[in-house]
Amino acid sequence: MPPKGKKAQGSEKSKAQDDERDEPLQAVILADPFETRFSPFTLEHPRCLLPLANTPLIEYTFEFLANAGVEDVYVYCGAHRDQVEEYINESKWMSQVASPFSKLELIQSTSHSIGDAMRDLDTRGLLVGDFLLVYGDVVSNLPLESALAQHRARRAKDKNAIMTMVLREAGTRHRTKAQGTSPIFVIDPSKDRCLHFEQMPNKEQSHFLSIDPLTLSDHQEIEIRQDLIDCGIDICTPDVLALWSDNFDFQAPRKGFLHQVLKDWELNGKTIHTHIVTDHYAARVRNLHAYDAVSKDIVSRWAYPLCPDSNLVRGQTYRLQKGNIYKEDGVILARDCVINPKTVIGRSTSVGDGSIISNSIIGRHCQIGRGVKIDGAYIWDHVNIGDGSIVNKSIIASEASLGKRCIIEAGALISHGVSIGERKTILGTQRITRSKRKRDNSDEVVRGEPDTAIVGAGGSGFEFRDSEEEDEDEPVDELVARGGLYNLASLSFSAESISTLNSESEEDFQISHQRSEAGSFVSVGSVDSATSHHAHNFDHDAAASIYDSLVEGHESANIQLELTSLRMSTNASEHQVRRAVVVAFVKRITQLIKAGTSVRDAVAQVFGQHQDLLTRTMFDKNASNKTDQVDFLVLLQGDLVNKDGGDSILLSAATKLVEMDVIEDDAMVQWWEGPKSSEDEGMRKVREKTQQLIDFLNQSSEEEDSEEDEEDEEDDDSE
Amino acid sequence: MVTGAVVTAPGLSSYLKSLKSTPVEPSVEHLISLLKRRQIRNSRPCAVATLALLSRVVGEFKGRDAAKLVERIRQIGRRLTSAQPREVVVGNIIRRVLGLVREVVEDNVEAVTEATSDAGQSHPAHHDSLHRPQLISSISTFSPLKHASAEPMDSSSHYSENMSDSGEMSKRPPLLTSHTSYAPTSTAPLVNSLFGLFSHPDTPSASNTPTGVQPPDGKGTLTSLNLERLADSSHSRFDLKGEVMNGIQEIQDELEQTDDSIADNALHHIHSNEIILTHTASSTVQKFLLAAARKRKFTVVHVETHPHDHTATHSILLTGKKRDAEDDEEDSWKPLRSAGIQVVMIPDSHVYAIMSQVNKVILATHTVLANGALVAASGARMIASAAKAHQTPVVVVSGLYKLSPVYPFDIDELIEYGDAGSVVPYEDGDFVDLVDVENPLYDYVPADLVDLYITNLGGHAPSYLYRIVADHYRTEDINL
Repeated sequence: MPPKGKKAQGSEKSKAQDDERDEPLQAVILADPFETRFSPFTLEHPRCLLPLANTPLIEYTFEFLANAGVEDVYVYCGAHRDQVEEYINESKWMSQVASPFSKLELIQSTSHSIGDAMRDLDTRGLLVGDFLLVYGDVVSNLPLESALAQHRARRAKDKNAIMTMVLREAGTRHRTKAQGTSPIFVIDPSKDRCLHFEQMPNKEQSHFLSIDPLTLSDHQEIEIRQDLIDCGIDICTPDVLALWSDNFDFQAPRKGFLHQVLKDWELNGKTIHTHIVTDHYAARVRNLHAYDAVSKDIVSRWAYPLCPDSNLVRGQTYRLQKGNIYKEDGVILARDCVINPKTVIGRSTSVGDGSIISNSIIGRHCQIGRGVKIDGAYIWDHVNIGDGSIVNKSIIASEASLGKRCIIEAGALISHGVSIGERKTILGTQRITRSKRKRDNSDEVVRGEPDTAIVGAGGSGFEFRDSEEEDEDEPVDELVARGGLYNLASLSFSAESISTLNSESEEDFQISHQRSEAGSFVSVGSVDSATSHHAHNFDHDAAASIYDSLVEGHESANIQLELTSLRMSTNASEHQVRRAVVVAFVKRITQLIKAGTSVRDAVAQVFGQHQDLLTRTMFDKNASNKTDQVDFLVLLQGDLVNKDGGDSILLSAATKLVEMDVIEDDAMVQWWEGPKSSEDEGMRKVREKTQQLIDFLNQSSEEEDSEEDEEDEEDDDSE
Repeated sequence: MVTGAVVTAPGLSSYLKSLKSTPVEPSVEHLISLLKRRQIRNSRPCAVATLALLSRVVGEFKGRDAAKLVERIRQIGRRLTSAQPREVVVGNIIRRVLGLVREVVEDNVEAVTEATSDAGQSHPAHHDSLHRPQLISSISTFSPLKHASAEPMDSSSHYSENMSDSGEMSKRPPLLTSHTSYAPTSTAPLVNSLFGLFSHPDTPSASNTPTGVQPPDGKGTLTSLNLERLADSSHSRFDLKGEVMNGIQEIQDELEQTDDSIADNALHHIHSNEIILTHTASSTVQKFLLAAARKRKFTVVHVETHPHDHTATHSILLTGKKRDAEDDEEDSWKPLRSAGIQVVMIPDSHVYAIMSQVNKVILATHTVLANGALVAASGARMIASAAKAHQTPVVVVSGLYKLSPVYPFDIDELIEYGDAGSVVPYEDGDFVDLVDVENPLYDYVPADLVDLYITNLGGHAPSYLYRIVADHYRTEDINL
């Protein structure tokens, strides 16, 4: 990627004189927020290139950054990197002549969540000073000077003020606000400090906000606000990245990161601040509902000067006419077609006799037949609409075509290249696409077989079902949002919109999905999902710290000390301590195995060194009912359910534990016979191999233990 | 003033600063994006930025071929005007500089032709005094009907074609030369010129829908006689660049002195104990009134121009400074109050009620159009209409650089619609969702509502403006 040639040199030269106080403002664009909210459109094209008012989304983000005077930009790509790269290389932002940025770089990573992306960024060490973190779908005309100035002033005073969030005030009800889920900010207005963050409905699916009583006593004044649009513009210091790296279970920037950092304020002392703006426009196109709202805002000039007639992209020639009608050059309108207000029509689009278009955005090179009625629809480029069709509030993606007299009901989504035969009706709940994923979690798509019942004879396309929807437990929020967009499409939407993986409110589920790859090892969900909030905290911290100690080879006693203090501070139960230990140990073992150590050696290495630590987590040595030890084993078993080779690890671990006398024979038998160890399929499966050990133990308790060692040896070799 | 420790948003001052160290081509793009983002807006900053850019363009221009220089400036002009067609001043400055180049060339050609007395083509030097007969003769080749049919097409092409990057070369209408023999054949390029206006005064034609038909290819006209002659001149020995740079410097000086030279006329127009009504935060008007305030006592009624200009109006009344951020090159002046003038600020809605007591209305303007109409901050038309109803004289003060040869065929095109959020707070969700809000930033005030223009040259009747346009712009350059 060529740096910005002469201009860069020029500006560097001029900077060299008056620099030292002035480091370039850097920005990171998260072009892919790792969600599937725009499915099925995002199957074939990256989200940041979807057109919003006929201009690709990412243009607005670049515009915003240029407006703010940013110099270095890093674009974090996810899916469809090639398309993003091609687009940016062609655009003016990459050209030496026209780009206001001195550096624009694309970063590709294999991350599957924002958390991974942030940790990846941290390891790259690209960001030296304060930087802006924005999504590739921000639409804003906000000048950032005052926010930046305030951030820097705070930072000069206090190194721990690590982040400033820019929030837009928006009243109680607003179309551009997130619907369904509403973020709640608890703010100390005297210092602009954010004290607490929670997303409603929260993890427990309730609408109750629990605030630490200390918050109330420590602050003279607090504001609890839910009238803010979170436009995803954060001014961060590099410390933020370090925090992301320290906690590798953070996935979502708000629900995960923000919530947790604020919670841990007493531990790490980091404060996060807010900058609330009451004028200018700032919003994120976070889902289809927001797509609709922001499009309307742009057409109605709330986002001025980000309007179609500003012609942001090269070659656009929109002109404004009375009533917010924007037409590009070369639009062909039949004499008696009617174009109602708030409409945008792109170049070379033709509209036939008697058609009525209102409140709609129509791309370039579309052919709209005679007598067509279009209301509130978003029609992208190269679309054909047959005579007499009726299109209501829906999205028709590029190169789609509709036959004659089709009816598209409000809420329908028709993806790229779909063609629909004559006289078909597409319901508001349907999403029609032509391609499907080859495998889950891959970008490759293949064309599916047309479903003629839906698209009619000669059509192509089928109804889209997201593969994720079966195992996702989507909260109701997305449904409401969709319902808000397409108010006709109400309840029946619930099943369909499940696919929309809501990263902000779905942290827990994300984690369990990505456990194997992303390395987030606090997998609470599968064993005990009724964990309290507080405990959750402890789990993160304790597991992380034990794991770190294991990796670095600290002594048992030290780990024990740390663990105890953590336990005291969070008032965690013994059960949680055990779980943390199990999670950390298993994590370390699997890591060693991956590195090539044999299962047995790995287990011996990890468990062997820390006998003390293990024994001190269980306190029922002399009792007849070994609940603690059984609990430990259940946890171990549960944690191994989803691991590769979990069964053999379990066998070795159990053997080792018995050998070390950490777990007594009785406890082992109690565990085996207890109901918890065979509750479900996964649990049964993982313990299969351990049968040998139990058999042996049963034998040995009945007979003499003369041959114990040899038997044991054999057991292990049999793997 | 510029950039403390904090990164500042780009604007005029940062642009002028960067211009020194940046090559021409990035600077052009930079200005285009600033114009698009409205980070440089209003007439004076636009004029200053454009002029600074052009002086850089001329300074870097290699070679002595005047035709190439003209084409280069013209091409930059097209890009700039298409970026923000409503900042007409940008086009004005481009045309002024183009005229300057031509003048330099012609002066020298004249000297050459006089010396050699080449009889092949006698080129009458284009002194302004010769304009009138030529224009009349060329207009006579058109029937009025032809004009009417050509008008909308020209208006659309003037704005639209310029906006598209792709088609700008091919779609340009034929150049207009002032040679009478060179009668245009197809698309009536003359309609933007002055005499066109007077044959159709003030009738934005009903058919102003863009037809979508592309004007015929006009490339060939580059070889017009005039440019040939310009090209010829490259053989002669004279310092093209130096003279043009001097001319640009003169325009720069003119820009700086505009306010003062307008203010020199103040005493002729403002008398003791008058009540003067004005609007918006205009430095020109403020200086004008201040100049009068040195000798006379009068009362000023100031309309606040809510919603888009009221903060600037307030601060100009209180501190005499428009905005503390932007106009650093502009020296601040004392507010009228401190000169002992009583200033009454009223909301826009009170204009009609108070008009009966007002002796004179003084309006600032965004652009003055060739037919004597003006585009000014919204609210101006209401003030002018109220003044008309009360037979109160309306005086418009405007620098010459705001005077544009553009004829208003489509008034809607000239008016920019701004941020709806300044009318209704964006927080009001229901309002935003259910009500369409429009916020025009400018008003079109037709010529018959204006009694007098005061420019840096003195006072003129609106009907005389065509003459000043002819003095300052070459007919060849009216279509960029």
